[in-house]
Amino acid sequence: MSMNKHDIQHKQAFDEPLWWGLFSAGGVCFAVLLPAVILFIAVLLPLGLLPAEALSYERASSLLFSVPGFLFVGAAVCLPLFHAAHRLRHGMFDISVGNDALNKKLMYGGAALLSALALGLVVAGFFS
Amino acid sequence: MNKSTSQRLPPLKRNWWLKHRFFKLYMLREATVLPLVFFILCFLAGMVALLQGAESWQGWIAFMGSPIVLLLNLLALAASLFHAATFFVLFPRVMPLRIAGHSLPDKAIVAGQWAGVVAVALLFFWLLGRGGV
Repeated sequence: MSMNKHDIQHKQAFDEPLWWGLFSAGGVCFAVLLPAVILFIAVLLPLGLLPAEALSYERASSLLFSVPGFLFVGAAVCLPLFHAAHRLRHGMFDISVGNDALNKKLMYGGAALLSALALGLVVAGFFS
Repeated sequence: MNKSTSQRLPPLKRNWWLKHRFFKLYMLREATVLPLVFFILCFLAGMVALLQGAESWQGWIAFMGSPIVLLLNLLALAASLFHAATFFVLFPRVMPLRIAGHSLPDKAIVAGQWAGVVAVALLFFWLLGRGGV
């Protein structure tokens, strides 16, 4: 087998371990963190079932716009975004929607963009 | 898997996965990320609102309480638990744990991960369940 052919065969796959790694890390966060995050922030909070001061404007700001808040956003937003991007890309391939090379750029690009936005918001809040 | 290999196989119809329960469950699991993405977009909107000020923050909480948003987020909660149920059983297969020469039973590893889910929920209860500190 010529070197060139070997190169072509593996050219597409060199970045795949990164996506699978992010998928896996995001999967752990989605499974372990997100049930509690969704329950408290998206169900109990809007239903008024949390104590009034638990997520008041002042308390929510001080919790989120902090170093632990930055790490929390990384684990509860950024990694799950890459997990979702990976599943969406493979799901679209499975039902023959679009073209994988483009889907790949759109999905991982979108996840990266939203991740940068989320972390940027924490930093902006921290310094404001 | 190298996606270009598919060109050498006869193309599958789009509904191939509807023909077997196993593949339907596989697709359902793939679909768990749709409500997840919805929740994350809501969360991002909440961060923007929090940055804007107290009034926007209250407005965002009201938005989260509207019936359709609440329903979709309840779906996201269910999806996260379904995803967890399918994800936790993979761990002992991918990385079997051995302690002092004895392999840890699969059930113990799965139970340990559910204990993690409960621990995170308790942490949230400690942080948010008791009012302002």
